[in-house]
Amino acid sequence: MLFYSFFKTQIGNEVEVELKNDIRIKGTLKSIDQYLNVKLDDIQVTNEDKYPHLSAVTSTFIRGSTVRYIHLNASTVDTALLQDATRREHHANMGKAPSGS
Amino acid sequence: MSFFGFDTTLPRDRGHQTAAPGFGQTQDAFAGLSSRPDAFGESDTLDFEETYDGLGDQLDETDDAFNDDTFGEAPATQQSIGKDFDFAGRTAQMSNVLQEEGLLHAVRQPPRRASPPKPVAKPRRTGYESYAESSYIPKLEADASIWGTAPKKPAQEAQPSNQSASAPARKMMSVEEVEAMMRAQASQPQPQTQPVRPPPQQLPPTMQYDFPPSQPTPQQPGFAGPPQILQRPQQQIPDQRQGTTQRHPVQAELPGQGVHQPQILQRQRPEHSQPRHGGTPSQHGIQFQQQQQQAQHRQQQQQQQQPPQQGAPLQPRQILQNPNRLSGHGQPLAPQYRNQDMPRVPPTGPSHHRGPSYQGPVITNPQQILNLSEEDRAAYLAEEAKRAKRNHKIYLLSQGNHLMTPQDKNFITRIQLQQLVTATGGADEAGGESLLAEDFYYQVYAQIRGASRQHPNQPANQFAQTYLFQTGGRFGMSGRRQQRGGDNHMQRMEQQVQRAVEAAKLKPKNKQLVIEGSLGKISFSNSKTPKPLLNIKRSEDSRPPSAGPRVSRAKNGSTIPDRKVALRDLEKIYDTLMVLEDHERRMPRLREDSDAAVVQSHMEWTQQMESLNQRLWTELKVMEPIIPNSTTAHPFIALLSHPKGKKAIPRVFRHLSEQQRVTILTMLVIQLDGLDVISAALPPASAGPHADAIVPSASVRDEVELFAMSVIPPLFTYVSDAPLHIVVGLLGLALDRTNISNLIRTKIGLGILTMFVSRAELIRQAQGAAGSSDWDVWTSHYDRLFDEAESELPFIFPGGSNAASLKEVDDVHVWQFLAAMGVGASPDQQQRLVLGVKERVMETVAVSKALPADLAAKRLGNVNLFMRAIGLDVELLG
Repeated sequence: MLFYSFFKTQIGNEVEVELKNDIRIKGTLKSIDQYLNVKLDDIQVTNEDKYPHLSAVTSTFIRGSTVRYIHLNASTVDTALLQDATRREHHANMGKAPSGS
Repeated sequence: MSFFGFDTTLPRDRGHQTAAPGFGQTQDAFAGLSSRPDAFGESDTLDFEETYDGLGDQLDETDDAFNDDTFGEAPATQQSIGKDFDFAGRTAQMSNVLQEEGLLHAVRQPPRRASPPKPVAKPRRTGYESYAESSYIPKLEADASIWGTAPKKPAQEAQPSNQSASAPARKMMSVEEVEAMMRAQASQPQPQTQPVRPPPQQLPPTMQYDFPPSQPTPQQPGFAGPPQILQRPQQQIPDQRQGTTQRHPVQAELPGQGVHQPQILQRQRPEHSQPRHGGTPSQHGIQFQQQQQQAQHRQQQQQQQQPPQQGAPLQPRQILQNPNRLSGHGQPLAPQYRNQDMPRVPPTGPSHHRGPSYQGPVITNPQQILNLSEEDRAAYLAEEAKRAKRNHKIYLLSQGNHLMTPQDKNFITRIQLQQLVTATGGADEAGGESLLAEDFYYQVYAQIRGASRQHPNQPANQFAQTYLFQTGGRFGMSGRRQQRGGDNHMQRMEQQVQRAVEAAKLKPKNKQLVIEGSLGKISFSNSKTPKPLLNIKRSEDSRPPSAGPRVSRAKNGSTIPDRKVALRDLEKIYDTLMVLEDHERRMPRLREDSDAAVVQSHMEWTQQMESLNQRLWTELKVMEPIIPNSTTAHPFIALLSHPKGKKAIPRVFRHLSEQQRVTILTMLVIQLDGLDVISAALPPASAGPHADAIVPSASVRDEVELFAMSVIPPLFTYVSDAPLHIVVGLLGLALDRTNISNLIRTKIGLGILTMFVSRAELIRQAQGAAGSSDWDVWTSHYDRLFDEAESELPFIFPGGSNAASLKEVDDVHVWQFLAAMGVGASPDQQQRLVLGVKERVMETVAVSKALPADLAAKRLGNVNLFMRAIGLDVELLG
């Protein structure tokens, strides 16, 4: 849930999604779900000269499993908070509350 | 026409079965009796007839079903096609419809004028464009789409056969003619009674229940004329002859004078009375569908029954099939001008419903509008506009109807609720805690950034509540009759939620199932934990070895394990910090009137807090003994050498007591030499006083920046409140234990020294230099520091002294230090200070003349910081 939680904060920001088939799509993140399926608006293919077939499309729904990377604006990420969230996730996965043992 | 005048067309060939409720008889009984041309030349009426006769229904409707899919819903224009081919168009339309439905039920706002940009089947006219002008007299042109028929298509023109004969005839009947015709036709039963289906669009939910339909409406005596039912006189006649409906006595002998009893006002319920649904407004759509279905069903039945029954027992139903149709305030109005020559037009539109504001009679004829008073007409038009809007909206809403059965909807609702429940992790019992655990980053981020996005910012459990609340609101809206049903529905909903929660709880706890004999594992997934694709089995013994050997290795002086140990310690600190912060949030509110239990819990909380604090303290390793001359740094200093450790300090400081803070500060001061931000940032010892480009590497600079940003502020906060003896002690420690010349040459060291000196200065100004022993100690310390610093003055400025580096070098901290020193200096010391940095001052002033104004002002401001401290000003150097 960490990534879901994280990407929820990115809703409304412009992101660039790099797919496993090498297409890079830049657009406004409209929504994301727990499978990290992504809905983008006002999209633009960054490497459009290579993949022109999406040039007429303005919004997409991308299945999460086809995403390789999502490029974010660094200023929208609170790294300290993200570290804490990661720690929490880790402890949740270890099945115990964080303890200093 | 056949020889005997019968209509030989098959029932299915007659138009207008499905969509023209009650009006569009294909075979008009008056057709042969009146061929008078339209005396008033009302093309409006003609328009209506063309549209309204539903010629389109003679087309094979089933083949039209996907026309919209194929051709799009609007004529293709460059604009409408756009460049995106409207792949999402249909989705957008559906969402639009859904949205409207939600709006309709939730708020009952005034109907929205704007129709969605791309209605699925765009009607030719929405029917209310022209109602804005009050002078407008509606054309009473039926909007075909309102009746559920397909929009008029050119192909309809190709089948004019029986319509063309009947259409003009119908509107030209005078009473006498009608009577004559009825008599004439009394002996000539008409097999072509057209089954009529109710116009469900005319039944807005509120109207439907406000007026019990079977209640006979009182006559309005003033308007006693031939009622509209004369449209179908032939249907009444057999009725009366057989005496089945004695309440219709006068139809056959309609004398054209006196008070008539319009049969239609009896409004008997048809045998197939429409079931009353105890549904919610959201069910009206379904209801509507069901009505349609039933109507169709009925229609089929009737078509089958018609030949044998010849209309006799079915007659009432034909007329009264839609008993609600006249249930409005208005009554059928006979024209007040009972001129015999006055042509009469059958009811021409779905204009039977009068809203509350229009109390007048039913307008069936455009002329009637002309005869109304001004206000009446305005009211009528307003009503008409409202009704048209409503009908249009209902039509729009009805487009998605019947796609799902109630069971389907129920099912979907359950799934959605279940999703909500699992997404929130049982929001009810665990509340915010589990939410925070699951969705920590998002929740905290949203709190910090304070973003107020409407939808996604709502925590999921609130979302669920909102959802349930909304449905509750809907039920509230749905009129008195449904209140009970609505409550039941609510209860069922709640039960569903409960069941969903329980089901979610009962889900297998272990996420895998190994079936014997199978090659793989079956893993379960839910929304919380999507199915793991990689499943790395980690055996217990392959765990990382315990810290024991590491520590020993660390003592050997190898740096990598050192680093690992330090990082591991840091993680522990962070863990403890998080526990502490969580614990802090859970503090029980203690008030004066709190009962014992609360006090007890508060005490437990305090105890827990203290133990956590102790844990944090030991983990910080501040109190570890300092091993002099050891190769490894003190653990606490090692922690601080990592960015993570530096970042932790402000958080740690919040939870520490004063005593602990001063201990940390002391430890830091003692170990200043060992701090990476000082030792690494130190210019090479060989560097001469004005060596060029002794700029620390980028990584070191980053470390220094980070230290200045994260560690110094809490220290500074502490020191700025510290009493003199602590400042004196700290400065003494620094003088005794560290290499002051090193400190002075680095930014951090200088900053810390500045901190002490300026604090002492402030205390002196606040209290006055009372001759306490502390001040004596302070003065001696200060003198020592001054002496040390004076010898370092040539090295104190970072970077070279050439003009290029002077322009960009960041030396504000140096000037701050000099200023702090200058304030407390004796006149003699001030003199020495000025001498030491005079050159630099002059250089800076000279350089700043060549700089842009703002930069120059900044540089000069820095210098002035020092100059003012010793009672000078750069202006004097001008």
